[in-house]
Amino acid sequence: MTRTRSSRTSKKRPSGRARTWLGWALKLSLVGLVVLAGFAVYLDAVVQEKFSGKRWTIPAKVYARPLELFVGQKLSKNDFLIELDALGYRRESVANGPGAASVNGNTIDLNTRGFQFYEGMEKAQGVRVRFSGDYVAGLSGTNGSKLDVVRLEPLLIGGIYPKNLEDRILIKLDQAPPYLLETLVAVEDRDFYHHFGVSPKSIARAIWVNTSSGAMRQGGSTLTQQLVKNFYLTNERSLSRKLNEAMMALLLEAHYSKRDILEAYLNEVFVGQDGQRAVHGFGLASQFFFSQPLSELKLHQVALLVGMVKGPSYYNPRRSPERALTRRNLVLDLLAEQGVATPEAVEAAKKMPLGVTKRGSLADSSFPGFLDLVKRQLRQDYRDEDLTEEGLRIFTSFDPILQMKSEAAMNETFKRLSGRKGADEVEAAMVVTNPETGEVQALIGSRQAGFAGFNRAIDAVRPIGSLVKPAVYLTALEKPSQFTLTSWVQDEPFSVKGADGQVWKPQNYDRRAHGTIFLYQGLANSYNLSTAKLGLEVGVPNVLKTIGRLGVNVDWPAFPSMLLGAGGMSPVQVATMYQTLANGGFNTPMRGIRSVLTAEGEPLKRYPFQIQQTFDPGSIYLVQNAMQRVMREGTGRSVYSVLPSSLNLAGKTGTSNDSRDSWFAGFSQDLLAVVWLGRDDNGKTPFTGATGALQVWTSFMRKADPLPLDMPQPDNVVQAWVDPHTGQGSDASCPGAVQMPYIRGSEPVAGAACGGEQAPAESVMDWVKGWMN
Amino acid sequence: MNKWLFPALTALALLTGCASVQRGSIPVVDSGTRVSNSERVSANRAGAAVNTGTRQAQAMPQDSGVTVMVPQGAGSEPIQTFAAPTGPASIDTGPITPGPQNSAPFPSTSSGGYSAPSAPTGIPSSNTGSGGLSADEQLDGPVLALLTTAQTQQTGGDLNGASSSLERAQRIAPREPQVLYRLAQVRLAQGDAAQSEQLARRALTYANGRPDLQAGLWDIIAQARDKQGDAAGAALARQKAKVSL
Repeated sequence: MTRTRSSRTSKKRPSGRARTWLGWALKLSLVGLVVLAGFAVYLDAVVQEKFSGKRWTIPAKVYARPLELFVGQKLSKNDFLIELDALGYRRESVANGPGAASVNGNTIDLNTRGFQFYEGMEKAQGVRVRFSGDYVAGLSGTNGSKLDVVRLEPLLIGGIYPKNLEDRILIKLDQAPPYLLETLVAVEDRDFYHHFGVSPKSIARAIWVNTSSGAMRQGGSTLTQQLVKNFYLTNERSLSRKLNEAMMALLLEAHYSKRDILEAYLNEVFVGQDGQRAVHGFGLASQFFFSQPLSELKLHQVALLVGMVKGPSYYNPRRSPERALTRRNLVLDLLAEQGVATPEAVEAAKKMPLGVTKRGSLADSSFPGFLDLVKRQLRQDYRDEDLTEEGLRIFTSFDPILQMKSEAAMNETFKRLSGRKGADEVEAAMVVTNPETGEVQALIGSRQAGFAGFNRAIDAVRPIGSLVKPAVYLTALEKPSQFTLTSWVQDEPFSVKGADGQVWKPQNYDRRAHGTIFLYQGLANSYNLSTAKLGLEVGVPNVLKTIGRLGVNVDWPAFPSMLLGAGGMSPVQVATMYQTLANGGFNTPMRGIRSVLTAEGEPLKRYPFQIQQTFDPGSIYLVQNAMQRVMREGTGRSVYSVLPSSLNLAGKTGTSNDSRDSWFAGFSQDLLAVVWLGRDDNGKTPFTGATGALQVWTSFMRKADPLPLDMPQPDNVVQAWVDPHTGQGSDASCPGAVQMPYIRGSEPVAGAACGGEQAPAESVMDWVKGWMN
Repeated sequence: MNKWLFPALTALALLTGCASVQRGSIPVVDSGTRVSNSERVSANRAGAAVNTGTRQAQAMPQDSGVTVMVPQGAGSEPIQTFAAPTGPASIDTGPITPGPQNSAPFPSTSSGGYSAPSAPTGIPSSNTGSGGLSADEQLDGPVLALLTTAQTQQTGGDLNGASSSLERAQRIAPREPQVLYRLAQVRLAQGDAAQSEQLARRALTYANGRPDLQAGLWDIIAQARDKQGDAAGAALARQKAKVSL
């Protein structure tokens, strides 16, 4: 409109009109300039504000426990190599540089990377580890120096993100590996070091290429423009945005050095999508694809990452490996062409595989169950923003090797039991802890362990069945004047009228009564009649108090049915309760987190080891003895068809009414595991505690190969010889006599010796051996 | 009276011997710790007569403490390789141990006195050896190293770091009462008397047959109870500390 009018008027009075037109143009352009200047000032403020402050919010990073190495440590070479692979150690013939390992028979040389821990820096060093059997037999520096203990860097197992979040690992320019900067410049912006933010030359080249080929083949954007686009602007494609971008690029270059801009680019660039999480920056990309720190990447890996910038999802090396390989090699050729790398280096790099971590490997797994536990613990101490923005480093007790073993045990057992009708609908949960430290080492919240969702280990509160029985027996055994392991109890039908007027008539699983039995046999064989009777004798409220002292505060009503496990607990709660049984009567609050560091590596918070003695070790010793008999002669005895008899274990099966819940909880010296199987709709399952959960537990223990349970005998406990039939005091020299532990003073009067010659004295060891076989 | 003279003299000799050791920070030589820890010294002020007694008693657990370690997962009773706890006998070996470590200013060298055993020490099957000095081989390299680190951190005022290092040692050797003993000490210094007592009690369950260590643990319990305002309980614990010896 304006133009047509002005052309018309200019025809009428050319000279005078031209002058006014010029005047107007001058004024207009002046106004334009002022506006533009104003806009530039505004843009400048925007550019500087975001670039000079904290440029990115970083989600908290969660780390597994660092693997400790020391002589005498129980660790198989195979497990060690799995850990090294997950940490992205390169296998080389001679370990060279951080993150390299060389395997030579039973000796492994590696160069650790060093890491900042809560209590100090673990320095990067060359380490030689020698294995013998499933133990570390030698540890020294590769230079021959003596080493007492070495920590590997911990595996990064996840982060704490809000939905749709950008994730990144910030890097500094000097952490860039050789070739990275050169390759990036060569591929994305050849004139980077010579332009002022925009490059007319590359725009012209882009126009030439695009018009001559008739398609959008090449973009004219500089690295600076790309950074501006990603950093400040939306993804909209328009001329005004393009101008905006160009101005901001100029401004950015005016204020900051090429190095600053390049460093920001390295951290900003988008390189892939991981579910809800957007992978940004080469630092995280390196971990995400190669499970290695960026600084260790080799030429072929660098070329792949830089090549992916053009189309992160199109060239995704996991989804489209061939396409990614072609692109990588194209980049490599370009490097040879431009003289960035020698033709020999390029040829060698082209022969390399893509090198991305394998699916299903430790490095490429996720552990939503455990991370959920960690998040819940963190939310008690931190605000959500702190967790998702401050780049905190969370150190946990998670043991990825035990986690893989528990997942494998779960999967294999389900496979084996898949023939059972209804097995498909059965869900599962599992908690693995170290009873001596109270630390959670592995956790499964769903039968599909990698599946985030309902976390049954924490949230499925289900009737615990006979898992409650140790609490009943512990309550009784705390009164040694009334009860010992060999007290006689009646396993006979009875009924009681409850407070609610209901008549309660417990039954044994096999619907039979077992007459007069030793107290411990009621627990070992999980008899309901004798246990219920004993529980009523000591008092239901007292049993509930015992459960509280074991570490779980339940609000169960004091009904007799609670004695047989009608009350519900989550697997984590069961683990807490059994931990006190395993740990000599000392309750340890369950911990998943050890410490928290700031993004800069400063100590922020520690979650210390805490214990509280809630039982006399003597009565715990007796309950442990009975729980070992569960495994040797009772409902858990199937374990010893798989596990060696030298492995002392204690545990308890649990089955709720109509087999709706299949439980097993048990421990060795250093490992405690709780397994639950059941249906989400609380329907019947084809499993009892022994045929379901115990099978998973056994399979796990076989893989984990723990230390045998060995509680030191407390001062107030004595071993006495008793007759296995009468429970009367006997003597070591008597045939069949067995040794039982008693609280001092409650043991039966020693029997007379049976004469040295008629029967060879059966020593403790002989008896133990016989009992174990 | 005569009964006291000999141990008192040896203790005196030992204390002077140890005086130079405290900076050498052999973590398990607790005489060093206690002397350097002002808090503990003041807590010991209860009775002068008892004081020399306990001080002397403290000198002993360390010696035996250094030599006696239960390898993790030994699967057996705590191994007691040192001679019967007759004062003079064990004190005799005392000065020998700190001797070579004396000159070493750095923690790492304090474990230099420990000759790497040919067999892995933590492996259950490794046998106990015999005689006073070979018992040194029972020292667990990693545990000793971490106790040393913790000692350095504590001396430097970094109690959280010391705690953290000790928990690291505890994960490596969860049943080693000396680790729990040191952890109890640090908790006490951190002002957490309740946990200090709990840890000492846990350590006691692993300290069967180690009277010197038991006495040291009861002593910590006594101090912890004092700090919690439980004078009667503290007195009881002091009694136990004496009986243990």
